[in-house]
Amino acid sequence: MVVREVTVTNRAGLHTRPASMIVRTASKFDADFFIQKDSYEINGKSIIGVMTLAAEQGATLTLTFEGEDEDEAAEAVADLFEEGFGEVK
Amino acid sequence: MLPKENNVQISEGSPERDVAFDRVGNERVVEGIGVAPGIAIGPVYLYARAAFEVEERHISRKERDAEIKRFEDAVSNSERDLKKIASVAREKLGEGSASIFDAQALMLRDEAFFDAVIERIRNDRMSADYGVQTVINKHRQLLKASESEYLRERANDMLDLQDRIVRHLRRGKILSDVDSKTIVVAESLTAADIVLFSRRGILGTVLDYGGATSHVSIMARALSLPAVVSTHGVTSEVATGDTMILDGLDGRVIINPTEETLQFYRDRKERYHRLQEEQKQLVPLPAETLDGHGIRLTANLEFQEELKLIEEYGAKGVGLFRTEILFLMQRRISLSEAEQFDTYRRIVQSVGPDTTTFRVLDFGGDKMLPMGHREHNPFLGWRGIRILLDKPELLYPQVRAIVRASAYGPVRILLPMVTEIGELRAFKQILREVYGDLEADGETVDPEIPVGIMVEVPAVAIKAARFAREADFFSIGTNDLTQYTLAVDRGNDLVASKYQELDPAILQLIKSTVDAARAEGIPVSVCGELAARPLATPILLGLGVDELSASPVYLPEIKRVIRAIRMEEAVDLARRSLDAGDAHEVTAILRVWLKEHACDVATMLEGDGRDVPGSA
Repeated sequence: MVVREVTVTNRAGLHTRPASMIVRTASKFDADFFIQKDSYEINGKSIIGVMTLAAEQGATLTLTFEGEDEDEAAEAVADLFEEGFGEVK
Repeated sequence: MLPKENNVQISEGSPERDVAFDRVGNERVVEGIGVAPGIAIGPVYLYARAAFEVEERHISRKERDAEIKRFEDAVSNSERDLKKIASVAREKLGEGSASIFDAQALMLRDEAFFDAVIERIRNDRMSADYGVQTVINKHRQLLKASESEYLRERANDMLDLQDRIVRHLRRGKILSDVDSKTIVVAESLTAADIVLFSRRGILGTVLDYGGATSHVSIMARALSLPAVVSTHGVTSEVATGDTMILDGLDGRVIINPTEETLQFYRDRKERYHRLQEEQKQLVPLPAETLDGHGIRLTANLEFQEELKLIEEYGAKGVGLFRTEILFLMQRRISLSEAEQFDTYRRIVQSVGPDTTTFRVLDFGGDKMLPMGHREHNPFLGWRGIRILLDKPELLYPQVRAIVRASAYGPVRILLPMVTEIGELRAFKQILREVYGDLEADGETVDPEIPVGIMVEVPAVAIKAARFAREADFFSIGTNDLTQYTLAVDRGNDLVASKYQELDPAILQLIKSTVDAARAEGIPVSVCGELAARPLATPILLGLGVDELSASPVYLPEIKRVIRAIRMEEAVDLARRSLDAGDAHEVTAILRVWLKEHACDVATMLEGDGRDVPGSA
């Protein structure tokens, strides 16, 4: 199991487009993927789940990956957060 | 002649004929904003959200499997729609606009939606409609609880999805009861709706809300679908089947027209078609007066898919590329330098060897940044260059992208909402820094990109002589110049009639701007709506403007006027207009000239209402 802490850096937060980028990226891997915000946990391969996190700029999220390709999956998803989904910070 | 179907409401012997006669005297003329030219005459299809309201309904055990099947079919159909819409959006508007529809498609098969609805149908015996609504409501509540206004608004994306599925559940196929050859009347439509309606062959659309630069208006223009927006409550005055005339040229809608009005508009429509045919012959001809004085006609563009219109209507370059529309279309606060560069480079390559004028981001006013801030008086607030100088993270990537694009063809940079000379200087400093960075990166670019300013705040027109020493060109934005000079908000019905671009005060400001530019030898263009009005062409010509930039579709008509006038006549008309008492006197002077000089089609397009029987 791989656990990563990430921060939402883009100004608009996890709205529709970033959410769909996360889901599309995570779905390329077999590893199970969950996102936790405060005490709320959702399936990271569900776009509605990701959107209903309502994660705003500055929010800290815990990403959990479990499966054979968990390292690669964690790397790919964490990169999206680092790049702020290609949006303004 | 009109296609036969258009006449169905008033044809001999049809039952509707009696209805039409009952309503003689009930003819109503409603003014709005024409956002896509053309005239449509036909029956109304009233498209109201209320039609998709969902009732709480439960089903019996034996209906259960059929109901699940019905839901699955609706999801498949919605998925197919979304793919179609995404592909049209991708083709017409680019990748970013398509992504929202891709995301909706992803939601359809999401376990939190798909599996959840099936569970409601199976376990709680909800009808499919009710199940969809229940599940979506739950998710919407979570989004609405967010602190961020932007995320709260995403709850509407979910509502769109619900409407889409419910429409399929109700009628099998989306919008299937919208007949072709109808005028769709709605409070508002999404760009996606307009694509689907257009594919069903509707005649045009009338919307209570929206403006010339709304997403849906731009889409209507791209699809050549006549459209009038901002009609304030027409939806509550019409019913499906009522006869309507939509005049996208004048921004006017006529409900239950009399036979006389119908005849007038049938003629007008035919004249418009004839005019369009004639205009094709004007495209290759030069824009010069009878005595050989030339003026440059350029295009106002909003997105790269409009580029084909430049050639189609004979524009000599792009006089105004409104970059903010790219951002608004994609519902994004920012686009990366790479994304912007890619778009700008394609435009420059396509427009070359003619020049492309990029106006840097003009957010603020009625073009809200999706950042959720509110201002008491946005038109006098944080707008245009004021935002950009406060937010270098928006300005730098854009300037870099534009400068890099200059390697592919001639480019100019235009600054919006300048009021003080310091703003121009601050921008030039940033431009120098960008040049330095790019030189360090070894990029070859145009080292002397002209930097001009919009003349849209009266202060700038008054100080034009001073600005002309430091700016490389002027572009007069008559829309804002008019509202700031006359202190009239044209969106405000109480005073909208006082919004007169031809007020002598505006003409005086244009004159001082042109004179100041002349003295310093810099060019002046006009890029507001006034530039698109054939009626105003003689004055702008006579005042000495070098370039008119307008939506390409209007250029042949302007060229017709230019080719019919002598420079001394234009100068004389301008002089008399400056001396007129008010905009109505100016209009009268110009109309007389246009009528006398066989520019009757131009006069027809101007249509100030006096010729329309219904509006008397």
